[in-house]
Amino acid sequence: MKPISWFHLYKILIRTSIRSRMQYKFNFVLGAILAALIQISEFLMVALVLHKFGAIKGWSLHEIGYLFAIMTLSKTLYRTFGNEVHHLEKYLVGGELDQLLTRPMPVLLALMPQNFRIMIGEVLQGGFILCWSLAGMMHSGQIGWTVVPFSLFVIVTGAIILFSIGLATATLGFWTTRIEELQVITEDAARTAAQYPLTLYPKWMSSLLLTAIPVGFVNYIPSLYLLRGEGGAWVLAVIAAVAVICLAASLRFWTFGMTKYQSTGS
Amino acid sequence: MLYLTLASKAYARNLQYRGAHMVHNLASAMFGYMYACLWIGIGADHQLGEYGVQGMISYIAFTQASLWISGFLTNGLGIPLSVRTGQIALDLMRPVHLFTHLMAREWGQIAYQFVYKSLPIYLLYSIVFSLKWPSEAWTLGYAALALAGAAYLSICMNYIIGVTSMWTTESSWLHWANHALMNLMAGFFIPLEWLPKWLEQLAWLSPYPFLLYVPTRIYLGFEDGSLLWGTLLWCVVMTLICLALTQVLRRKVEVQGG
Repeated sequence: MKPISWFHLYKILIRTSIRSRMQYKFNFVLGAILAALIQISEFLMVALVLHKFGAIKGWSLHEIGYLFAIMTLSKTLYRTFGNEVHHLEKYLVGGELDQLLTRPMPVLLALMPQNFRIMIGEVLQGGFILCWSLAGMMHSGQIGWTVVPFSLFVIVTGAIILFSIGLATATLGFWTTRIEELQVITEDAARTAAQYPLTLYPKWMSSLLLTAIPVGFVNYIPSLYLLRGEGGAWVLAVIAAVAVICLAASLRFWTFGMTKYQSTGS
Repeated sequence: MLYLTLASKAYARNLQYRGAHMVHNLASAMFGYMYACLWIGIGADHQLGEYGVQGMISYIAFTQASLWISGFLTNGLGIPLSVRTGQIALDLMRPVHLFTHLMAREWGQIAYQFVYKSLPIYLLYSIVFSLKWPSEAWTLGYAALALAGAAYLSICMNYIIGVTSMWTTESSWLHWANHALMNLMAGFFIPLEWLPKWLEQLAWLSPYPFLLYVPTRIYLGFEDGSLLWGTLLWCVVMTLICLALTQVLRRKVEVQGG
């Protein structure tokens, strides 16, 4: 099959997934509102502290809001398309992956559209905080208009990096079957850590977040350049390169992991 | 005796997953570590009130460990699930009160989480941050009482959340709202006195401070035992609400699945 027809097939599968989701409209709307509520309570927690103390290690509330929003939106983009990669454990434990293996298409392409997740709550909340922090910083003259398109670019590269981390973690499931505990560390904890400036953490931890689990490249490194003018335009090129390398490496690891797959069945 | 058996079975069931839970503890400990780093960062430029940097680290360490006692309980005590499967009809037929039945099970769960989650996490923090343990026995005693009260309050709150699923079929939104309020009003991460005045006052009108803030303050030696009266008062109020709700729900049950 040609890549173009793969893409066509992918579109059809996504459309099916959306239609099945829309059978439960009330649940969908309620879920979206709640997701926004939870996310906002998390940000409020930090906003309250900053309101009280001013800045954390020289990072203002607007800057931390920016870190927070980029991370939320990148994660949202990743989970919209790759939610089932995150939930691979369900397929491994229940033996559902066997069904996907029998389909005449790459497993990842069959897996991802299983549940195309529309995350309006996160988009609203992340978008709101992003606009608010950008407006605040533009108002004070810290940044110019060019940051807006670059931010969109950074959200996409960030989503690719988060997807790669998620895929690599999920791949480990081919050996361990259970991956949820590991995901809490590589995905949730790492992502939460990068919502704050990495200078807060001891050296070993910040370097870990820039190498082994490169979440720092999702929002922190771009912010250093976009908000504070550290480095040059090459920073963006480096970030794009990191995203491509992460994606290529995790896809290779996934292909290798697939050859080690043993069905658990039930 | 029956209740003891229910509790010990819940405890024993969890023992099967000790290994996985230990990995999870590491992740949970990482979250607390991050929050502690945040306070260390803030403390570098600001005075942290009566706590000081070391005090805030102890505060975070204790709330993070206590979350497994008063924060992370079975969602709705498992009622939403049993409504969906129809199991609730059987549970209501049993010659045991639904509230005490579910509560006994949850106490087993909490006992397990205390031994295999709270204690290891707190011990880890004790080593990493070289925390000081309270020197006086009464501090530990009052803190233990406050935590037990917090666990009971949390059981009641989860019961109420669970029971609403009888009428709405979907109570996860209440569960999440509870979680959000806990973030803001229970003193998890930020001590209540540093909240904006109106939010602080609002928090004290709710049972949330008694879930984390009060036990932590007592443990750190900032309070004597007098706040325990508040815990007791809320325990009584919550118990009455739970009993009343059970009365109402016994009248008519609609089950979904089967």
